[in-house]
Formats: sequence, structure tokens, C-alpha cells
Amino acid sequence: MAVASKPPALRRRKVGKKGDVPRSIGTSSIMWLLAVVYGLPLIWFLLSSFKPAGDLFSYPLTVFPKHWTVSGYTQAWTKFDVAQYFVNTLIVAVSATLLTIVASAAAGYALAKYNSWWLKIFAGCILLTTMLPGETILAPLFVVIRNIGLYNSLAGVVVPAVITATGTFMFRQFFVTVPNDLLEAARIDGSSELSTFIRIMLPLARPIVLTLAIFSFQWRWNDFLWPLIILNDPNQFTLQIGVASIVGAQNVNWSVLLGASVLSMLPLIAIYLVFQKYVMSADINAGLKD
Amino acid sequence: MVDSVQAEPRSVSAAGEPAPTRSRWWPKRKLNSYTVAPLLMISINLVLFLLFFIWPAVIGLNYSFTSYTGVGPAPYVGLDNYERLVSDSAFYAALWRTLIYTGAVVPLTFVASLGTAYLLVSQHSKGKTVTRVVFFMPWLISPIIAGVIWRWLFGENFGLVNFVITELGGKALPWQSNANLSLIVVVIAATWMGTAFNMLLFVAALKNVPTSYYEAADLDGANAWQKFRRITLPAIAPTSFIVVLLSTLHTMKEYGLIFAINAGGPGTENNLIVQYIYTTGFRKAQIGYASAASFVLLLILVIIAVVQLLASRRKGS
Amino acid sequence: MAISATVRRGRLRWLSVGVIAALTLGACSSGDSDDSADVKNITFWYSTSAQDQGYIDLAKDFQAKTGISVEIVNLPNDGYQDKLKQAAQANALPDTASVPSLDTLWVNQLQDLSSIANNATNNINKDLITAQDSKVLAIPSDVTAAGLYINKSLFDKAKVAYPTDPSQTWTWDEFLAAADKVRTATKAKYDLVYDRSPARIRPWIYSHGGKGFQLGADGKFATPDAATVQAIDSFAKLNNDVIMPKSVWGAGADPNALFKSGQVVAYFSGVWQVADFAEGITNFEWASAPTPAQPVHATDINLGGKVVAFSNKGKVDAAKQWVDFIFERTNYTKLAQANGYLPIEKGLTLTYPFKKQAALDAFALYTKEIESADPISASGQANQTKLLLAGKSVDDALVKDEMGKLVNGQQDTQKTVDNIIAGLNQQIG
Repeated sequence: MAVASKPPALRRRKVGKKGDVPRSIGTSSIMWLLAVVYGLPLIWFLLSSFKPAGDLFSYPLTVFPKHWTVSGYTQAWTKFDVAQYFVNTLIVAVSATLLTIVASAAAGYALAKYNSWWLKIFAGCILLTTMLPGETILAPLFVVIRNIGLYNSLAGVVVPAVITATGTFMFRQFFVTVPNDLLEAARIDGSSELSTFIRIMLPLARPIVLTLAIFSFQWRWNDFLWPLIILNDPNQFTLQIGVASIVGAQNVNWSVLLGASVLSMLPLIAIYLVFQKYVMSADINAGLKD
Repeated sequence: MVDSVQAEPRSVSAAGEPAPTRSRWWPKRKLNSYTVAPLLMISINLVLFLLFFIWPAVIGLNYSFTSYTGVGPAPYVGLDNYERLVSDSAFYAALWRTLIYTGAVVPLTFVASLGTAYLLVSQHSKGKTVTRVVFFMPWLISPIIAGVIWRWLFGENFGLVNFVITELGGKALPWQSNANLSLIVVVIAATWMGTAFNMLLFVAALKNVPTSYYEAADLDGANAWQKFRRITLPAIAPTSFIVVLLSTLHTMKEYGLIFAINAGGPGTENNLIVQYIYTTGFRKAQIGYASAASFVLLLILVIIAVVQLLASRRKGS
Repeated sequence: MAISATVRRGRLRWLSVGVIAALTLGACSSGDSDDSADVKNITFWYSTSAQDQGYIDLAKDFQAKTGISVEIVNLPNDGYQDKLKQAAQANALPDTASVPSLDTLWVNQLQDLSSIANNATNNINKDLITAQDSKVLAIPSDVTAAGLYINKSLFDKAKVAYPTDPSQTWTWDEFLAAADKVRTATKAKYDLVYDRSPARIRPWIYSHGGKGFQLGADGKFATPDAATVQAIDSFAKLNNDVIMPKSVWGAGADPNALFKSGQVVAYFSGVWQVADFAEGITNFEWASAPTPAQPVHATDINLGGKVVAFSNKGKVDAAKQWVDFIFERTNYTKLAQANGYLPIEKGLTLTYPFKKQAALDAFALYTKEIESADPISASGQANQTKLLLAGKSVDDALVKDEMGKLVNGQQDTQKTVDNIIAGLNQQIG
């Protein structure tokens, strides 16, 4: 098992291989078909956001708006303090994501590379956290937050959300595939455990870091019930609270709701577009090859 | 080199000796370095775990032994709630429905996400830039909005799908009045929403499979399917395991999406277990009873997780 | 794309420090101010999805008059009740609020508003205030009523007439016959869609002579009379996919969307749709029609937000002042007009800012309807309030579920009624 001398390779294009073109057509068409299936409801949703309220329920149904309008968006913009809520949500999402990545990477690495009985138990404990539904644990969790004194603060929104079994296990499964030889080599070189982790292992896991960043950002961005309960000061409200205030007790102003929903999704799409480049194009053969 | 395809890390000695039962193949060092370092690494998660899971869970467990109504005193009733639960037919109905739902969604999501991941990673598909965004978008939507979209699409009276069916000459299907059809709509919606998440996990895993394996297989004249079955699947097994496990747990706890699509209806036929807990407990102010139901659910999920772990270990070794 | 490991480690360290610092600052700066000597500002929570300028304008006037600023916080309806619960447990209730319903958890922290309610100049409708032991705990900001909407374009197209005066209303039979005629003439899909809600089924029962689900002398729900059972039975029979679609009461389909599609002749809902219809319906003309009576002319009178003042330390007087200000006659007139409220105070002349004539007509109709409705119309909300003040929180959503089973043919009417009574009483304990 020699350390490879191959550079982190670009996948070599096997040009001119027999059967390449029909292969491309076949694979591409399946992919495009799936994309259409996945995209249709979205397109319809997006187009509906440009329809005036009166046309949303017209019969016969139309996919394309007869009269294009952005009134849904303009009304949504003035419905609540979009800019302030956006900043608050950004603070929550970014800080939670940073903390989550740090915590999950460290814990995942520990679970992957060290064999102790108490680590195995801890892995089980982390998994346990996914087994109680959030709605159940809401009231007791609130009692805890209140007793700690984090009520009515953005910290109270961020801190309980940092622990995630998904994130921890993502890193664990990745680090499991990193050969122990690397770790052993570092130890022989005299590097301490922590510095091996930070200097060598963590950079290897960049695609996982970015993937978890995307996930964590979305989770915090779409959080609704918990921020609503924790925050009292409207200057700290998050975007989802604003969007939810469009839904009335007895009726819903659909065109405004659609506009607000699309607006609140835009930052998520932007984050994804930026990060996924690194995730998709990273060639991560974990450093060591045959 | 991928040296382990099981769910648990196994140590392999560099010189090819059989692995000792205790995981030490490096020169024995002070015990401290390997207790302190991992302890430090899990410290954040540990503190958060104790503070924001154990503490509330203990409070909740306490409630489950009382007849707490959310306000006032919490009279101790022992195992009363659990006994009531065992004989509550609505609880079993909800549990059974949830199991059926999970049994449909998890395989479907697995296939869909692995498939899309494979297509996105393959060199043969063109136009990935657009499709990778399209596949990802459904996951960004909040469950409430997704619920609205699918409810409109499959609306019984004026939904798009029934409209197309009737235009093509067929008869409109009772997507909302028929409990099973309604559940099918939710299954489709849940798969649609959940694909992207697992897809990204699979993409990371697929990219981690060394190309050398594929090249070796090419030399042996293997076709795409054989390569997939013999190389890809085993190589991504750790990720597959975690995808299936997390999907199962997540789907068993489904509430937001199904409530947004059909509110647990028609009637109460599509009430899943979390909705049952929420309505009995928090709406009807029977906090003690709802907490008991939550812990029974916890127990069931633990059993499912253990079963999956054992199954994957057996397959892996 | 390699960032040097040392730099990366350094960055990571600073990032964590920065994040923790930010969070600490955040936690510190937003703590509740406990200063009891500070009566310069109070909070007012409410929930609306409309562009309500009413309270905001009033708050400005209030500040001009007294120097106390009112922070108006608009919360989403979904989760508002939960938030009040949790706020009560955290000792962080607002100073004043307009709440959807009282909660046993904090009802003992409410101030007595009898001086405002009994104030003769305000002329508040005393039948609708929430009182306990001669203490007035809440004054509704507005009144709501259930009512009928018709697709005017379809009626006109079929040349069928409809009454416009509640004192000369039609019977349900007459209405259904007219709707049938309109449907067949215009090839619409359904005669009627009906809101799927326990409150909305009350007018149906009352107008057919039934008493509905009333509390007995023992504080529990009594077995309903035969007229009620008969009324529920006849209602279920209407859900036959010709007159009414099964999917609404049977499966939770949205009747609002169905009516807006223009394919349904009539829609039984309530006054809160007026503002939405005024803007949201552009493909056909709609109108409010009097609630049919057979023979009782009744509707379901309910309350909008209930205005309450909490006894928060140091803010007691300021809170009461604000509530007093709200219900002062001229101020309340401004509020009701701006927010499109049906007034709780009697004898006001209101000019609503609606641009559509149909909306103005609708409001005039509703005002007349409320005045001439049978007194039983307010009993539904009165029962709920009574139970709440006795410390019982009863959720009547099970009525929807049981009626759904009835409409889907899974159980008969008597069983439905029995289940409803049993379910409601089980919550009373």
C-alpha cells in the first residue's frame, strides 16, 4: 500500500472509447427526465408567484400567468421588515453553521479514529438525539433555555441547534475511509492528536465540511417554531416568522405568501450555488491510493 | 485506499498481521494521549448533548409518570400513562400507518438519491450544471410550502394532476378522500423533498471511490452494471448505511409535511405517530400521556436502529 | 485551492472566538429590562395577516397624548398561543395584547378592565365581554359573524334572484333550490362549499332549530336535542359531490380556493373573507347574502382578538391607560375603520375604506345580521369562555374529525354525535 504518486487527478477523459456517445445520450436523457420530474412542481410554484391573486384559483387551470405581476413580491417586501429579519436569520444561520461544523467534525473524527468503549456509547447517545421528535421536546427544552438565561436572544436560537447526529456521522463515515496509515505516519512524525486532526485530517474533509455547511444553513434558515417561541423582540425575528405572519387565522393571501416564500429561498439557493461547485468538483480520493 | 467497508472501523496492521481484538497496532504510548484527545474533540457535542437533550429528556420522562396538564401541579400516576397507551387503538393505528409510510419512503428515497448522485457524478451525462441545481431545489423549500404545492397539484377538485387526467379522458381520482391515495401523494412529496439531502451524501461517497478500482475493472472487461454492483455499492456501504438509518429515523418522525398536505386526513386515517402525540398531548393538554407516547416512540426507534446496525454488521463482515 | 494549514488553524480559532463573542453580546443586549421605574414604553402583541395600520396609528396618537410609546409586535397566528404559554412560564408576558383566546396558564395575571367595559360612553356590547366574578378580563377588539357569499355573476347569468335584506331572508330549502337552478343553468360544479370548522357548523344547526352542543348545569356538555341530530344528518347528506363536494368536510380540501375558482355557486364562511375577496376575486362578481333561516335566523357570532392587559410589575397603569385609549369612542371608530372591524361598541357610524362596493355592502349586511340574529348565536363562544374560566381548555377540533367520518360514510349520525359529546367531555375531565 504505497503512498500514491498520482496527483489528485482530473478524471482522465477516455476519448474515443467505444460506446461513449450512446452512453452519453442514454445517461443524459435519464438525468434530464428526472430533472423535469423534479422541476415541474417548482416551475409551477415559481410561475404562480407571478400571477395576480385573482388568477391563482381560476378554472381551467393555467400553468403560465395570463397577466404577469410582481405585486406578490412587492407586497411581501413591505409586509414585514424583510431587511432586518434577513440579517437576523443570517446571523443565526452562519454562527450555527460554524459551530456545527467544528463540533461535528471533531466528534466525527473522534468516533472514527479512536476505539474506546465510552466513545461507542457516546456514538449511540448522539444517535439517540434523533429519536425524540422536536415537538415533544419543545416544552422541556424551553424550560432548560429559560433556566440557563438564553431566553429572548439569538444565542438561544443558535446553541441548542448545534448538535446534530447527521453531521457527526457524516464526518465519522468519511474519516472511517481515511486510512489509518496517514494517522500513524503523523504520529511517528511526532504530531499531537489535535494538531493532526486540524492540520491534516480536516482539510481532507473539505467536501464534507461544505456539504454540512449547506445542510446546516438550510436547517437554520427554515427554522420556525423555535425562534418564534424564544424571541420576543421583533427586531430579532427571523425570516420564517415574517413569512408565517402572512398566513392569517382564517384565510391566506396566497400571492403574498408565494412571493415571500420565493424571496426567503433566494439566499439558500445562492449559498448552494457557491458551495456546490467545491463539493461536486472536488476529487477526494482521501490522499492515499493503492 | 478504502480499507474498511463496514459500519465500524476495524484496525488493519500495516504489516498485514491479523488485527488484535484491542485496537492498538501503533507503539504503545501513554494512555492519556488517546483519552484526552478524543475527549476534547467530543467535548462540545458532549456538553450540548447533556444540556439540550438529556436534561429536557429527563424532564419529559418525569412528565410521563404524571398526569400533568401543562399548568398547575403534576400528580404522580406511575405507569398509568403507559398502560393506557398499550390499550389505545388510535396509537397502534398511527404507529402502523407510520411504519407503512416509512416502508414506502425510505427505499424510494434511497433509489432516487443514489440514482441522481450516480448520474451527477458520471462522466457520461451532459448538462450537469443545471440539473444539479434542479435536483437540489425541492430540499430548500420549507415543508409548509411544499405541502401547499403538492396539495394544489393533487387537489381533488381543481388540482393540476386531475385536470390533466380529465383532459386526457380519464376519471378524476379522489386524491384527498381516499386515505391510501392521499398517503401516496405524501410519499411522492417526501421523496421529492428528501432526495437532494441524501444525494449530496452519496455524491461525496461516490467521489471517494478510487478510480483505480474502476480502471482495473475496465481492464477485466466489466460492464457498467457489474462495476456498479461489485465496486460502487460495497465502496459506499458506510454511507448507504447512514443514509438508510437517518432516513428511517427522520421519516418515522414525519409531521410537518404530511400535516401541510392532508392534515392527517381524510378524517384521522393518515395520522402519523408524531401527529398523534401532538394532538393527544399538546392540544388536549395531556402532557403526561404525550410524553409517555414519545418515549415509547423513542424505544421503537432505538430498536429499529439496533436492528439496522446488526444487519449491516453482518453484511459487512 | 490549498489554504495553508497554519493560516487555516489560526482563522478557525479567531472565527470561534468571534462567534462566541457575538453570541454573548447578543445574549446580553436583548435581556428583558426589569426596570420598574421605566414607564416610557409598553408592549402590545397581536396577530394579523392584513396590512393593519389601525393599532400603529393609535399608538402614535397615544404617544402624542401621554408620552408612553407602545411597541406593536405582530406575531404569526400559527404558534401565537404556544408563544404566550411559554412567555408566561418565562415571566416574559407582554404588557398588553390582543389574543385569540385566553389561556388558563396566565388568566390569573390579567387586569380587571371593568371600568372600561362599564363606561357608558363607550357603549360596549356587554353580552360579548369575558367576565368572571364581576371582573372583566378581556374586551374583544371586534366581532365576527358567519355568513353566506354567492357568486353574483353566476346568479345574474342564470337570472335567479336572491334576497338582500336579512329581515326578508330565505330558507335553506329555498336557497338550495335557487343554487341548484343556478348550477344547472350555468354548468357550475357545485351548489355550495362550506367552511370546515366546528364554529361554522353552528349556524346550520341553530337555523334548523337545534340548540347545538351546549353546556349542561353540571358544567359538562349535554346530549344534544333531536333537532341538532337531525340537522347534522341533513348536512352530511348534502355532501354528495353534487350539492357540496365530499372533499371539503371529508378530506380537508380548501373551500376558499374552490369558491375563488368561480366554479361554485355559493360559499358559507364569515365576515373575515370580505377584505380578501375585495382584492383577491377578480374573475367574477361576488356578494354577501343573508344567512338562510329554517325557521330560526341565527348565525355564529364570535370574537376577534381579545384585548387584555397583564399585571406586569411597574407597567400596570400604563397598560390600562393604553387599553382605555383603544376603546375610547373616537379612537375605536378610527381603529375599526382602518382595520375593517365589525364594532364591539354599539351605535357607531363607520365609513370603511373599502374601494369595492361589494365589500361595503357586505359589511352593512353583516352589521344588520348581527343585530337581528337569534341570541343563541353567541352561545358557542360563550361556552368556550365559560370552560376556560373554569380552568378547562377544550379543543373542539374533534368535531371536524367526527363529521369527516360521517361524511365519508364510516359511521352514522347518532354515533358521530355521541363521539363528539364523549370526546369533548373527556377533555373537561
